[in-house]
Amino acid sequence: MVAFRSHEATGRPSGLLLRSALYTLLALGLIVLDKRYDQLGKIRRALSIVVYPVELAVSSPFEGYTWLRASVTTRDTLRAENAELQAKLRNARLRLQRYAALQAENQQLRALRASTAGVGPKFLVGDIMDVDIDAFRERVLVDKGARDGVYVGQAVLDAHGVFGQVQSVAERTCDVILISDATSAVPVMINRTGLRTIAVGSGDLGRLELPYLPTTTNVVKGDLLVTSGLGGVYPEGYPVGTVLDIKIDRVRSLAKVDVRSAARLDRSRVLLFVWPTPAAARAAARR
Amino acid sequence: MSRDRRIRRTPVLLSALIALILAIVPLPHVIDVLRPDFLVLVVYYWSIESPSSGGLTLAFFAGLAIDVIRGVVLGEHALALTLTAAWAIHLRLRVRVFSILQQSLTIFALLGAYQFILFWVDGATGYPVTVWSRWLAPIIGALLWPIVSGILSRLHER
Repeated sequence: MVAFRSHEATGRPSGLLLRSALYTLLALGLIVLDKRYDQLGKIRRALSIVVYPVELAVSSPFEGYTWLRASVTTRDTLRAENAELQAKLRNARLRLQRYAALQAENQQLRALRASTAGVGPKFLVGDIMDVDIDAFRERVLVDKGARDGVYVGQAVLDAHGVFGQVQSVAERTCDVILISDATSAVPVMINRTGLRTIAVGSGDLGRLELPYLPTTTNVVKGDLLVTSGLGGVYPEGYPVGTVLDIKIDRVRSLAKVDVRSAARLDRSRVLLFVWPTPAAARAAARR
Repeated sequence: MSRDRRIRRTPVLLSALIALILAIVPLPHVIDVLRPDFLVLVVYYWSIESPSSGGLTLAFFAGLAIDVIRGVVLGEHALALTLTAAWAIHLRLRVRVFSILQQSLTIFALLGAYQFILFWVDGATGYPVTVWSRWLAPIIGALLWPIVSGILSRLHER
């Protein structure tokens, strides 16, 4: 480490070695504390308050543009949109009627099974902020944080299915890791057969894989995967994706199954944070 | 004589802030992979030009800011940036008299070391990112160095 000892032109040592050793130890200490003991939530939150204005400054022009474009649309566009929305609302209402009936039936069935897993009535809507966090990891920054009760490991949905889970929480924002990230895994069930397995992110946006299925498994293209509720992170029964492609190599014992996520991982702007019902939370805690 | 005169803090902090903003401005995914580490280049520039007005403290806290923004393990970028900035400070007297090509090569080495430390910490903490495109960053950074250092030198040499 002698190489680090530098001298100013005046001949006095600058203390570079000492200071770099100090900061290096500090950084290593932070890494160990953060990784091993998970003690830095408060520090991270305090630091994120400092960074929040920067994030806001980056995302607000884009939001401003969206707002501007929305406010200068013509009357015709608005009218067309209104008609379309009303048609959608009609359809949604029709479906909702069926939903109410189904829910009642479901509750009866659940009462029979004496289990009440599922998503509770509590949920929170968050917007994705227009900030690129990391090019190599699939994560988004969302404008809800510890202030709103969001917690690490919370499941996040979008309008079409499971989106991901909360990875870290700041005071006003949180990081959500997408289900297609290479480090993400979702316990799923093939809806048609009830077979349980695990969907692992591929690192490719919107793609997942089922790496643990034997070649003899009954799985066909187009099969719907829903969350199985095991593991206690994701609530049960939400769509995760559809089987896109199955490659069976006779030499290997496991099939290679590609899955396209149900959630629009690349297009969704509005996300739903869900809280499990107390009963489901207890069940998860028991597991 | 030494050129280590104290440069006012304002241009240092201002350039770091702008680089931080450039680091998170949304880009299409294809270009996002190629996004240069502007903040790292800015830290190297001030380390070489005036270690007394930023130096390791600037490097450490800039790294910490990247950690917080990216939501990775705290201290990862701080460690990488501190070590490579120390290297840059150590080399500064030589780098200043280098031609621009030699400077770019030095920056390439610094960024390579920076990326390697990140790669190592990523792996050690259990989130290995093994895509090959992460190793493009040193090349892009080195190619951009003449532009970045040109702009930054305008900032304080008036």
